Amino acid sequence: MTRRPYFVAAASRRQFLTWSAGALATTGLAASGCSAPEGSGSAKAAGASPSPTTLSRIGLDYPFTQLPLYTTLVKLSTAAATKHDVKLLTTSDASNPDTQATNLNTWVAQKMPAIVSFPMVFEAAESIAKAALDAGLIWVTYGGTLENQSADIQFSFREGGRLLGEAAAKWADEELGGKGKVAFLVDNTIELGRERTKGMVDAFTKLAPGVDVVAQEQAIDPDTGLSKSNAILAKHPDLNIVLGITDAAAYGGFKALQQAGRKKGDAKTFVGGQDGAAPSLLAIKQGTFYRASSALAPQDIANAIVDVPLAVAAGKANPSVQVPVKLVGSGDTAEIDALLAQNA
Amino acid sequence: MTTATTATAAERAVPGPRALAAGGLATLRRQPLLLVLALLVLVFQLSTGSFLDPGNLRGIATDAAALAIVAVPLALLVISGYLDLSVGSTLALGALTAGWLAGEQAQSPVVAVVGALAVGAAVGAVNGVLCCYLGLSPFIVTLGMLAAVRGLAQQLFPLPLSGFGDGFAWLGGARIAGIAAPVVIAGAVLVAGALFLAYTPTGRHVFAIGVNREAAYLSGIDVRRTPFALFVVTGTAAALAGAIKASVLDSAVSGTSGAGFELTVLTAVLLGGVALSGGSGSVLGVLLGVLFLGCLQNGLTLLSVPTFWQQMAQGVALVAGAALAYFGPRTTR
Repeated sequence: MTRRPYFVAAASRRQFLTWSAGALATTGLAASGCSAPEGSGSAKAAGASPSPTTLSRIGLDYPFTQLPLYTTLVKLSTAAATKHDVKLLTTSDASNPDTQATNLNTWVAQKMPAIVSFPMVFEAAESIAKAALDAGLIWVTYGGTLENQSADIQFSFREGGRLLGEAAAKWADEELGGKGKVAFLVDNTIELGRERTKGMVDAFTKLAPGVDVVAQEQAIDPDTGLSKSNAILAKHPDLNIVLGITDAAAYGGFKALQQAGRKKGDAKTFVGGQDGAAPSLLAIKQGTFYRASSALAPQDIANAIVDVPLAVAAGKANPSVQVPVKLVGSGDTAEIDALLAQNA
Repeated sequence: MTTATTATAAERAVPGPRALAAGGLATLRRQPLLLVLALLVLVFQLSTGSFLDPGNLRGIATDAAALAIVAVPLALLVISGYLDLSVGSTLALGALTAGWLAGEQAQSPVVAVVGALAVGAAVGAVNGVLCCYLGLSPFIVTLGMLAAVRGLAQQLFPLPLSGFGDGFAWLGGARIAGIAAPVVIAGAVLVAGALFLAYTPTGRHVFAIGVNREAAYLSGIDVRRTPFALFVVTGTAAALAGAIKASVLDSAVSGTSGAGFELTVLTAVLLGGVALSGGSGSVLGVLLGVLFLGCLQNGLTLLSVPTFWQQMAQGVALVAGAALAYFGPRTTR
């Protein structure tokens, strides 16, 4: 007849908390053991540029851990580093600039011999990069240039946008007689997005002045791309072109057009994006109206992540690299297959 | 005599204009968001000219369907005094599970959806055990699960999934009597939620637990089982919404699917007049909250309002909704 009170029995709750604390402590100890820095070894390197023989670790700080490219990059960079007997370590910034700054400061304090960082806010990274250089560490800026750095890995984000914009404008000229309607799915929140947006919009509007720009909407993921495109299509059912700042957003536009009744191979429709994401590459390969993607080869980026800091450590002149971006279309089957293999 | 009686019955069956107006006013007083929504629709229609086009309304309904499917059980959970912030990650895990089963494993769409629902129910059960039976804070537990389930999804499915097949596409793309399947499912969830809350003893228990858990316990209500079941249903609904989104997009990405969805759905619930402190709310209010967000997003896009203004507008809408919920009358039982 007795019923347990509505609140939890104290004993069971205490037991649970004890077990949880034990499990957390064990996990924490294991994690700290697994990722312990080369404390003394790093300390020896303090105040001096590491030589090729001391560069045993490279820290990759790629903040956008939610992107599929992150997994691919870590996998390929780790493999590339292993070939050089270098250990690749990573941060977990979860797209948060504050977390990124904290993680980078920790690496600098731990004397990580070489840091390859993609700063979310370039201005904020400047002081951390300076601290790294002052501590005798190698700092490689990914995706841009800082005043304080050993070298950089450059991508022309604007170039990627430009390639896509030009391809779409050329298509509009040939297939639509230079007329029609275009919607841009853009990003104005981070530097990378602004660069891509500018490259894409400027190139298109310059080469296809007769095409009406009916919308410029913020969208970087497929969900947003889909809902924004649905709204745009309600107002402009005769929309011909959707260009995306990312392949993910453009893929949402691709699906919206299909749901609006557009056939997969519609001759009067063009969708294009940037990144070289697998679903988009597959759609291009299948000959749908998803016609182009400005793609970066993950293997090229992974090689640069390892080779550039090694080149700096070896004292090579001009160690910086520019990773090429290429526009792939339905005719580039071999290139698409190679990109898909790297993304597998 | 008989004629007079019949006439009186007919008069009672068909309320006069005054009665209708009084009823309408009473509804407006209970659901002030209805008036705001009507004004919003009017403004968007006058300024765009295409807001009320059938195609656009269909688009709004389809976009809002996944939101409604999760908002209803979440509202019941909030009414009972609990909260689930992990629905965005559960949605992602559901989407990926369904996509993986339908695509890589070449399972039937039914198996894919059932698999996703099972995963969602499991996440909900973990939340329920920790919050209802061990008494941990729902805010902390579900916030932790938000991160943990997202991490699990990224670990299990690090790369995007796509190409789930024509059979699975039915879930997001089919039309039932001319209405998109996700909208039909959302309608069923709304009706079931409303009936449950209004006509079942357990529905009344949800309010009782939310108003005063100790008093509910002392009056013989099992104050753990009902919220536990609601956690499981909320997790299952989130996974169902994920499966629908995966079907609509024919793709799912572990890092971005459902990111931020928990705040959107909570916004809809709160806009609908559900009190975060529990004990009050209605499914009609939740429907209005969902429609309000859907119309706002769609209308701002139609008007080509710049991104940051759109964010501001959504923030202001939330504050306005919270004010309406606070100053307006409360729906309790």
